[in-house]
Amino acid sequence: MAELKLRQRIGTLPRWAKLALLAALVALVVLLSKWLVLILLIVMGLWPIVLLAILGVVVPSWIPRLSSGFRWALTAVWEALLAALVYAAMKASIGLWPIFALAFGGMLLLIFTKLRGMIVPFLAVVTALIIGAVVIMVTDQAVYQALREGGIVEALKVAVANVTQAYGALYVGALGDPLKILNGIGEWLSGEGTKALVTSLRGPSDSLVQSVPYIFAGLAVALGFRAGLFNIGVEGQIGIGWMAAVVVGFSVPGLPAIILLPLAMVTGAVAAGLWASIAGFLKARTGAHEVITTIMLNYISYRLMAWLLCGPLEFTQGTCRTQDVVPAAYLPRFLNHPVTLHWGFFLALLAALVVGWYLFRTTWGFELRAVGANPNAARYGGMKVGRTFVVTMFLSGCLAGLSGVSQGLGITHNIALGFQSGYGFDSIALALLGKSHPAGVVAASILFGVLRAGASRMQSIAGVPTEIVQIIQAMVIIFIAAPAIIQTIYRLRQVKREEAQVVFSRGWGA
Amino acid sequence: MAAHAQAIPVSKKAGLSRRDLLTAAFMFLVGAIVLLLGRYGDQPADRAIFTDEVMGTLFSLPSQATLYVIGSVCLFLAGARLYRGAHSVELVVVWGVIFLAAFGFLVWMTSGTKLNLTGMVRDTLTYATPLTLGAMAGIFCERSGVFNIAIEGMMLAGAFTAVGAASLFDNLWVGVLVASLTGGLMAVLHAILSIKYKVDQIISGTVINILASGATRFLNIRLLEPAGLSTPGHFDPIAIPILSKIPVLGPMLFINQPIVYIMLGLLVVVNYVIFATPWGLRMRACGEHPRAADTVGVHVNRTRYISVIIGGLIAGIGGAYFSLGQVGTFEDNMTGGQGFVALAAMIFGRWNPTGAFMAALLFGFADALQVKMQILEPLLPFVNAPIPPEFLQTVPYVLTIVVLAGVVGRAIPPAAGGKPYEKQ
Repeated sequence: MAELKLRQRIGTLPRWAKLALLAALVALVVLLSKWLVLILLIVMGLWPIVLLAILGVVVPSWIPRLSSGFRWALTAVWEALLAALVYAAMKASIGLWPIFALAFGGMLLLIFTKLRGMIVPFLAVVTALIIGAVVIMVTDQAVYQALREGGIVEALKVAVANVTQAYGALYVGALGDPLKILNGIGEWLSGEGTKALVTSLRGPSDSLVQSVPYIFAGLAVALGFRAGLFNIGVEGQIGIGWMAAVVVGFSVPGLPAIILLPLAMVTGAVAAGLWASIAGFLKARTGAHEVITTIMLNYISYRLMAWLLCGPLEFTQGTCRTQDVVPAAYLPRFLNHPVTLHWGFFLALLAALVVGWYLFRTTWGFELRAVGANPNAARYGGMKVGRTFVVTMFLSGCLAGLSGVSQGLGITHNIALGFQSGYGFDSIALALLGKSHPAGVVAASILFGVLRAGASRMQSIAGVPTEIVQIIQAMVIIFIAAPAIIQTIYRLRQVKREEAQVVFSRGWGA
Repeated sequence: MAAHAQAIPVSKKAGLSRRDLLTAAFMFLVGAIVLLLGRYGDQPADRAIFTDEVMGTLFSLPSQATLYVIGSVCLFLAGARLYRGAHSVELVVVWGVIFLAAFGFLVWMTSGTKLNLTGMVRDTLTYATPLTLGAMAGIFCERSGVFNIAIEGMMLAGAFTAVGAASLFDNLWVGVLVASLTGGLMAVLHAILSIKYKVDQIISGTVINILASGATRFLNIRLLEPAGLSTPGHFDPIAIPILSKIPVLGPMLFINQPIVYIMLGLLVVVNYVIFATPWGLRMRACGEHPRAADTVGVHVNRTRYISVIIGGLIAGIGGAYFSLGQVGTFEDNMTGGQGFVALAAMIFGRWNPTGAFMAALLFGFADALQVKMQILEPLLPFVNAPIPPEFLQTVPYVLTIVVLAGVVGRAIPPAAGGKPYEKQ
């Protein structure tokens, strides 16, 4: 209620006051960004403890006919127990298993009571992870060796041990080691500096860093889907945006960061947007199907970049790599090494907000969705369908370009041949998983980022190739796209719901 | 459709549609480029000598004069297109211009030197093979009403299992068979997801692409390489006994990879099955108007299952070409997007196997040209520098866009494509 009142009160303010409020909010976030990021990463790394703590507050209020004093007592007891468990885990080396088990139970409780819409996605991820485990087991040479030497029991032992090691590494790589984070917080509080804490937060940071290009690219595809356009050329647009931003980043070295950074980013976005709008223009003018034109534009851009990077733009002979951008064009990072999280993450979240606003709150966004739902009806209603195609492809390309920009200015600071890392094709999956909704895309991107960040640690520690992640991703998409499979496996009741279907694609010739 | 609804009424008045103008402009441009190449890129005395491995010199052409002739013909055809708007022979004319220009380019490149023409034709055919196979796989799927952007994934999976099976059984043909079955298996997944579970067919295809790319790399590192099953060797060209002795044509067409013959055979069979058998008619009906097909007793979903799986089997063979036809081992993502180019060839060829084959030949020719160009390094007029090979590699893609925009813009896909069928 209070929130509603606040909203109403803000609503009555004049526009300049609203803008000032927004600016103040942004300034506050920017000022506090370092601490916000630290808290965000700690919450990610300690999610089981945080989840249990929140449950301790929330669950008592669900129990009917309970005096408020009793509720508070329940909460207090629960939090005390939790604190004791955490303390025991830190000091008595019993490990965090009880906490993880409780948190998992709590998650199940939450999902099956309050968040029933999450049942299928949750089970999809769990099932996909189980299938991934099975794949790791049956392809493990050590298992076969154990089978020959010690029989089936021995083999199973080896298999389980190896999968546990692999998934353990995946978890630590993606979300960090909670014990180390706790110890880091302890050191920080006892005044020994934040070094240990920052080091222990590498996992969560890596996950978010990996999710940045995913968010942008996923939004690019999602925006296209909403207009009935299938932008399969994101991969190429990422490259164009990346390269344009890097070129600006090193070719005008004298400028201050406040000008150079936005300039580089906008150049990258616009370059990719223009590249993509070729496809939109061709579709609007000649009806050439965008799937084919964007695929072709992809390959043209690959060749173009191969020529540029190993030719005119090459910095050191034989490397096929440009020179680094000047530090003024770096997307600033928040904390010290190894936390590489940079401003791109917040820009990506901002982009998601803007896309949501554009799609659902503006006339152009309405037009876009109308064209996506039924182009003929939209035309009959007086909308300029062709213009919508061009504009949508341009915006979609801009988002894809920003994906490359965030990588170029945030992480690599240059561009080398072979930069393509599959973001483009994963982004199609992201848009599908997120049902072409910006919030869904962000969630799906973070999931993919987590998997991708964990996979590299899994490869180095357990020797399981990172490609297992692609298998898991494919499974997740299958189960989410065909919920009937999950419902059959887990004998869930079919939930009959009429969902507004997003039109993903229409005929090649349409 | 967006544009046509607007463009067509306007064009009716003017007598020429925007497409006519575009096509003519494109042909005019091609002709002009050929003429310019002839004027500034060649010396009057230069001759282009085309050779053959067996016969030696086949023929030689005065390159400048040839280019003038070709350029003029292109210009003439462009003019004719404007004058008559010749719709009935439109395709023939356009393809004619494309192939003429391609030949002109070849002449310019060879001017003052020699080129192994038979080798060139053979290379073109070889490069076109996986594209044609992939395109036929797509045609089978899409003619029955199921989109297939998973050709890439099916081919990649086939390429992978081909290597494993061929090394395990020490027989390349087993490899091809297993590759085909693997493609079929991926197609079963595609069919179950998109027909039984009514998953959006683009999603289903994307899943298969991601799965194939991940699984093949994963299994290659975890299974094939440790087990030493990754080097089965590759096919050598087979000479067909009598036919290969025909001068010129023999070495061009009848000393080839076995998979090329398979492709040519399938081309005939697929054409026959789709357009000349009752089953093919029913299948196309499922893709155009499933309700009507159902009414007259065709099992729509069963037909779609069969078509999609046949498509997968064909795509698998295309996959075997990559690993067993060329390098004899599996490399990560070795299909390198050719599955998508096959998709383009399919649409370019208007869902018609022969058309797709022509498109694939064109793409294959550009590939072969690009390889030859790196050897001959002809200098461009005006800038006096060789064309960067990357530029030539973009030719098929640029050409696809140009032609798609101007000429094949009205390619009409099967009407029911992409929609799951539900009985009422």
